Amino acid sequence: MSTHKDSLLKKFALKATSEYAQANFALVVSIALTLIFLLAGIDFSTGAIKPVFFSLFIAYAVFSIIQSFIAYQVKRDLKRDGVIRSSTRMWGYFQLLSVLVGNIFTTAFAFGLIKKKKSPQYLFTMFMLMTQFYVIAVSSLNLFKPYVANTFLMGMFLLLAIFVFQLVVLLLVIKDNGQLSKWKLSVGILLILTSLTGNLFALALGLFMLLEVFSKTPSTVAKWYAMWEKIASNMTAMLGLFFILFIFSLSICSYWTFDYGMAVDNNYGATLQMPSLAYPLGTDNFGRDVFSRIVFGARISLIVGVLSTFIPFVVGGILGAISGYYGKRTDNILMRLLDVLYAIPGILLAIVIIAAFGASTTTLVIALSVGSIPTYARTMRANVLMISNMEYVMSARALGASNLSIIFKQIVPNSMAPMIVKATLTIGGAVIATSSLSYLGLGIEPHIPEWGNILKVGSAYLESHSYLAIYPGIAIIALVLSFNFLGDGLRDALDPKLD
Amino acid sequence: MKKAVLSFLLIFTLILTGCVNTKSDVENEGSGSGDGSKPSIEILGMSSSEEDMNIVRDQLTKNGFDVKLNIQPDYGSFKAQQDAGNYDVALSSWTTVTGNPDYAVRSLFISGGDYSIMADKEIDELIDKASTETPEEYAKTYKEFEEKLVFDKAYIAPLYSSYKTQALNKDVLVPDSVRLSKSRSLAWETIDFQDEAKRESDPLVLSQTLSTLTSLDPIKGNDGSINMLNSNMYIRLVNLTDDDVVTADGSLSRNFSIADGNSEYYFLLRDDVNFAKVTDKKAEETDDLVGAEDVVFSLERAKDKNSVPDHRTYSLHEHIETAEVVTDVSELEKVQTSGGEGTVKAALEEGLDTEIAELVAEDDAADNAAGKYQVVKVTTTEPFPQVLNYLAHQSAGIVSKEQVESINTYKVEDFDVNKDIAYGDQNTVTEGDSYDNTLYASGPYILSHKNDYEAVFYKNPGYMTDTENEPNINQVNVRFIADIDSSLSALRNGETHIQYSVPENKYETVEGDSKLQLQSIPSNAVSYLLFNTEGRAVSESADLRRAVLYSINQEEIIDYYQGNKIKASSTVSPLVDTGNELKADADKVKEFLGKYQAE
Repeated sequence: MSTHKDSLLKKFALKATSEYAQANFALVVSIALTLIFLLAGIDFSTGAIKPVFFSLFIAYAVFSIIQSFIAYQVKRDLKRDGVIRSSTRMWGYFQLLSVLVGNIFTTAFAFGLIKKKKSPQYLFTMFMLMTQFYVIAVSSLNLFKPYVANTFLMGMFLLLAIFVFQLVVLLLVIKDNGQLSKWKLSVGILLILTSLTGNLFALALGLFMLLEVFSKTPSTVAKWYAMWEKIASNMTAMLGLFFILFIFSLSICSYWTFDYGMAVDNNYGATLQMPSLAYPLGTDNFGRDVFSRIVFGARISLIVGVLSTFIPFVVGGILGAISGYYGKRTDNILMRLLDVLYAIPGILLAIVIIAAFGASTTTLVIALSVGSIPTYARTMRANVLMISNMEYVMSARALGASNLSIIFKQIVPNSMAPMIVKATLTIGGAVIATSSLSYLGLGIEPHIPEWGNILKVGSAYLESHSYLAIYPGIAIIALVLSFNFLGDGLRDALDPKLD
Repeated sequence: MKKAVLSFLLIFTLILTGCVNTKSDVENEGSGSGDGSKPSIEILGMSSSEEDMNIVRDQLTKNGFDVKLNIQPDYGSFKAQQDAGNYDVALSSWTTVTGNPDYAVRSLFISGGDYSIMADKEIDELIDKASTETPEEYAKTYKEFEEKLVFDKAYIAPLYSSYKTQALNKDVLVPDSVRLSKSRSLAWETIDFQDEAKRESDPLVLSQTLSTLTSLDPIKGNDGSINMLNSNMYIRLVNLTDDDVVTADGSLSRNFSIADGNSEYYFLLRDDVNFAKVTDKKAEETDDLVGAEDVVFSLERAKDKNSVPDHRTYSLHEHIETAEVVTDVSELEKVQTSGGEGTVKAALEEGLDTEIAELVAEDDAADNAAGKYQVVKVTTTEPFPQVLNYLAHQSAGIVSKEQVESINTYKVEDFDVNKDIAYGDQNTVTEGDSYDNTLYASGPYILSHKNDYEAVFYKNPGYMTDTENEPNINQVNVRFIADIDSSLSALRNGETHIQYSVPENKYETVEGDSKLQLQSIPSNAVSYLLFNTEGRAVSESADLRRAVLYSINQEEIIDYYQGNKIKASSTVSPLVDTGNELKADADKVKEFLGKYQAE
């Protein structure tokens, strides 16, 4: 009997173990990046080698080889024993070093490999540390500049201190055996405070600790735990979340660690310089540091992206809920009006609004919001229609609850999941729309760092100074892709059908 | 362990503090006006000059101004904003297409000028004084003018003067055959293929940005959409050389002469230029000689504001008093040339094969080989040597008296756009129902037909045949490509042969392409900031204007354009060397801002 169980375990081990899939995913991405760096590292016209990209290629190649070795080991272990041996897991510590060359894929895989039993807290802590590490690393590139912002040193010191504190938290989390401990309250509060730097992994972790302390019903904790476990075990979603939070945190920390002048003040002595230590991504035609511009541009992209998703989320959500709940004439009037709005192409509507009211961040947000109200209303209406017929709604109605209380206490919370998923998926679209409008000269004033503006400058130099267009392009692609990955992960986590 | 880490951090930070420069360490002086209230300046411009606006914004910001940008997508919206007065300074540019300084100042700065928004008696006087002077004399007057206009009253703040550039495909065209002139538009007749066999079979392909042609009647337009086209469709009494000297070469005159007193100008006409017309979309020769009668007719209508509806160039020709045909040879013998020895007749005869035997009034009677010539005399309202430059301008192109009179049968005061069709209306050459090509071209080429994609021109078969001025290539196609990057791509992949005006940031690309050649000379184009003269703080306070003026750093602008711009102190800078130079001066800015705020 036991041998039969063993063989079953072995048979499905490859499919059942998340490490195996993750090892292959990290391997493929890592090899792809290695090849990209190889292509970038060789100047094909002269046959010369570009030192920066070529050394990156070598570093990535090393970690890719290790990764393929690990993937092979994992596969062998699973086939032979059905479990991953601890000697294989030890390789994870070595692979952790890939954090130094910026290979987040192998690093994230290493987190998972090291620990056999992974609680979501552990993974969140690891991602929190990784975010903090990269924020510090990217900010410290400013040290190579001729001068830094006045608050740079203070900011860096704070960031480093927080990093040390988070390392301590990691130790505590690893030792944590699920029992209620005294430290959880104080550490939780401290973590929430440190999340003011934009590292929302810390916020999530802190909130979870407080939940454990204060929650009287274990089922609530278990519900949250289950949801988090699902997200945390989805590596692409976590990587997406990581990149979003990294950008978010960086754009908050840039208030202290970056100098805005570098991004907007013209410096004619340093126009169109190739990437160097002082200007990690080169300078544009006005001698402005592209690196600083991309960092400051993230602020606008995120603000506009999030706000222009949030506004239609709320407005469309309310309209959809009302028309779905009341039905009949209300539904007909509201939906037909929204259909009229739906018939106008969103980007055209945005262009008209901007042309009429002038270009500014506020008009940009409004212009992008209005067009997407109908789709949110439709999604919400469909959910509400479905949920209004559920037994618990009927029972609430039978108990004499008012319409408003039924809508907001019963229906809305239960129809949120698809809305949240839709929102994360459309933030990416909003980021692209912001950049497109700026690219067309309809967005924000051209000297203000915004990804579309930076890309626009780059487009004029595609042949002679291609990096001017490549880096903001990569930033836009990575952010949009991250939101899409996160959206997919949330859908998997929130969808009750997949339970 | 925790303590060790903390103390390590502390030490690390201390070391960093020692060797890191913060912004306040390197910034030795605070910018701006001391009391914190920053004067605000609104810059109006078009998105095509976004770079210039950014440079000015940056320079003004660094000098303590609060800058607002008003960027308009096209010239129409820009003009609307400008007319509404929604600006403190408008980013403007001017190109002196006639190559003479009077044109560079008159319509821009004289009270009541075509484009003038100012009224200043002293400036008017200086402009009028300079116009009557010879080049040796006017340099001083224009220097005085510049000092008043720019440095004293600060009505404008000059930014830079540009180079004129063109790129050509040297595998296809003979580089030396493509002229690049300071003021004159591209002359097509000299251009030749490397492979002469292609002259008949292949078209020369050019490109231009604007596809809506203002008018093909030379006096009804003076803008980028028609300048090059009309210049090649209508011959003029004189031409400008590549460096802006008035010449008879390639013009309708064999010779010209200025009579003593600088008010009378004589032109001896050629007898080998016939009008061309278009039949079945092909160019066809007419027997109609471009003669003295047509010249007089063309100049009379050019100076008369009421000769056509929507006349756009009469102010260029307002100095012409009369144009008439001279039939009496003895008149030429009596008049002495200006500043020289000898009679006008001798001057007109210089280099001719046959001397003047007889002057004829009728076109048909002209026969240069037999000594029968036609002479036109132009009289100016006052001594005005620069009139020759205006006669070299596209708007002084010679049209057919007979043809124009037969088309423009409407009364000017009753002209109805919906009903009447004027000579040169672009709809008559646009493919479609309204196509009815009535053009008579006196120049080397004639427009056959156009659509939104391209315009097709054919060689005028009766244009100076068997001379060096006879057009080489039979067909010229002008592609309409709105985006300058796209038209450069078209040049690079061989679709077009010449790109007229190449943006500065593309020089590298062009120079890196082995089949292309970049040509460049200083042009007469000047960019400047025009101050609002009504209803704004800058309109009232010369001190505020001067503060803006001295914030402008032309060195930085030239650096930005990688040395491909030239310093300028006003719109006459490319034409007259006045010796003035605008130097950025932060101290002066502070001083003038202080005065402004004390007001």
